[in-house]
Amino acid sequence: MKNPYEVLGVSPDATDEEIKKAYRNLAKKYHPDNYANSPLADVAEEKMKDVNEAYDQINRMRQKGKGTGSAASSGTTYNNGYSKFNSVRIFIQRNMIAEAENVLNSTPQNERDAEWHFLMGMCHFRKGWNEQAKTEFQTAVNMDPNNSEFRSAYQTVNAQRTYNYGGYNTGSYNNGNTNGMGCTACDVCSMMMCASVCCRCCGR
Amino acid sequence: MFGYLQIDKAELKVREYEAYQSVYCGLCRQLGKDYSVFARFALSYDCTFYAMTLMALRRSCSGFDDGRCRFNPLKKCKYARCEDDCYRKAAALTVITVYYKLCDDLRDDGFFKRLVVRLIKPFFSHCRKKAQQRFPRLDEIVGNMLKAQQKVEQSPQPQMDETAHPTAVMLAEIMRAEGRDTMEERVLYECGYHLGRWVYFMDAADDYEKDKKRGGFNPFLLTEAENLRTVMNEVLSQSLARSYDAYNLLDITDFKGILDNMMLYGFPLRQQKVLAVPQGGNT
Repeated sequence: MKNPYEVLGVSPDATDEEIKKAYRNLAKKYHPDNYANSPLADVAEEKMKDVNEAYDQINRMRQKGKGTGSAASSGTTYNNGYSKFNSVRIFIQRNMIAEAENVLNSTPQNERDAEWHFLMGMCHFRKGWNEQAKTEFQTAVNMDPNNSEFRSAYQTVNAQRTYNYGGYNTGSYNNGNTNGMGCTACDVCSMMMCASVCCRCCGR
Repeated sequence: MFGYLQIDKAELKVREYEAYQSVYCGLCRQLGKDYSVFARFALSYDCTFYAMTLMALRRSCSGFDDGRCRFNPLKKCKYARCEDDCYRKAAALTVITVYYKLCDDLRDDGFFKRLVVRLIKPFFSHCRKKAQQRFPRLDEIVGNMLKAQQKVEQSPQPQMDETAHPTAVMLAEIMRAEGRDTMEERVLYECGYHLGRWVYFMDAADDYEKDKKRGGFNPFLLTEAENLRTVMNEVLSQSLARSYDAYNLLDITDFKGILDNMMLYGFPLRQQKVLAVPQGGNT
């Protein structure tokens, strides 16, 4: 068993407040939403479990008997009823992407429905082939706009393409990124101002 | 690799910046020791990032030593002390990547550049042989990348994802080699894959105008998107975001501030600089 304080990255004499804060930060970091469709979803889930256990354990050790606040991590499950691509879904879930692609590629053209495109997109996504994943997801959504599974996959991809996403919104660079023109004159000025203030502090 | 894996100095703490420099100097010194004075010119930010990642993962940096810069004896500098072969491995990667870069340059650059490359290649060829003996796997990974890249570029209608695949796999394999268990290997692979993809597309975005004029190969020439700049930005941002997600699953305590800085500020800053350069294409 790991030391629960190490798991949360706090010292054993941290206050309850500090522990709660560390726990919240980590829970946010490993939140399943950040790893939707990712091949590392299970790793994140594992980490989340460790964090939850550590937090519970510390609370028990401190005999506060507080609520645990454990977030139920659900991961992505693909069990929405009958599907002719069940084998593909199982392959994807097990990260057996080559096998999944084999089955998909052997499907005749006329049987390639929205779900087929969705699953193909999922294969590409798992491999890190973001561009083709996006195209396939888009096709799936266009063919079946009412399916929430396809829509959410498409949204995840789109969200990742801007910095306003998951763990990635902490930086100050998430503004004005849409036009791709990073450093404005304003930034340069403020940078110079900061620099001169710094210099003054050092007594130069 | 191409020098995109840098810090954002303005966002670093002073002690973190000093630690970063001491790794940089340490790697430079190792290049001098293992290869020769001339190999020091091959020192790159990318390989400093690699050395730093290795030291962070293995927790092998045990302190800092005072010393002097070999190029400028008046300048004092610090060297990060390392208990195992992190520097040696990063130095090997440096000369191996330079060697393969030169091989690649021979294929498509102009006459004069080819001449220069021919002149310096024998030296790096010698270095690379030494490095290959020490780290055969590294040489194999980088060599495979070049072969796969040439194959993709010659294929009739490559997809954008395919063009980035060789570089992405290269960094993924290099990172995976450091995993201590299967789970960590998977996380490192994913992190490296998307970072490698990002580096490849950064280079492509950087060279877009040049390749367009001279008819070189460039993955962004494959898209017919109207708002090319936005597309570039989205492609790059997504790769960084996915790499960062994987990075977050690693247990890193040493140099964490510096690596976080690179992931969250340094790399996006490079991305913005590359995209902010005026280009003839549509914005």
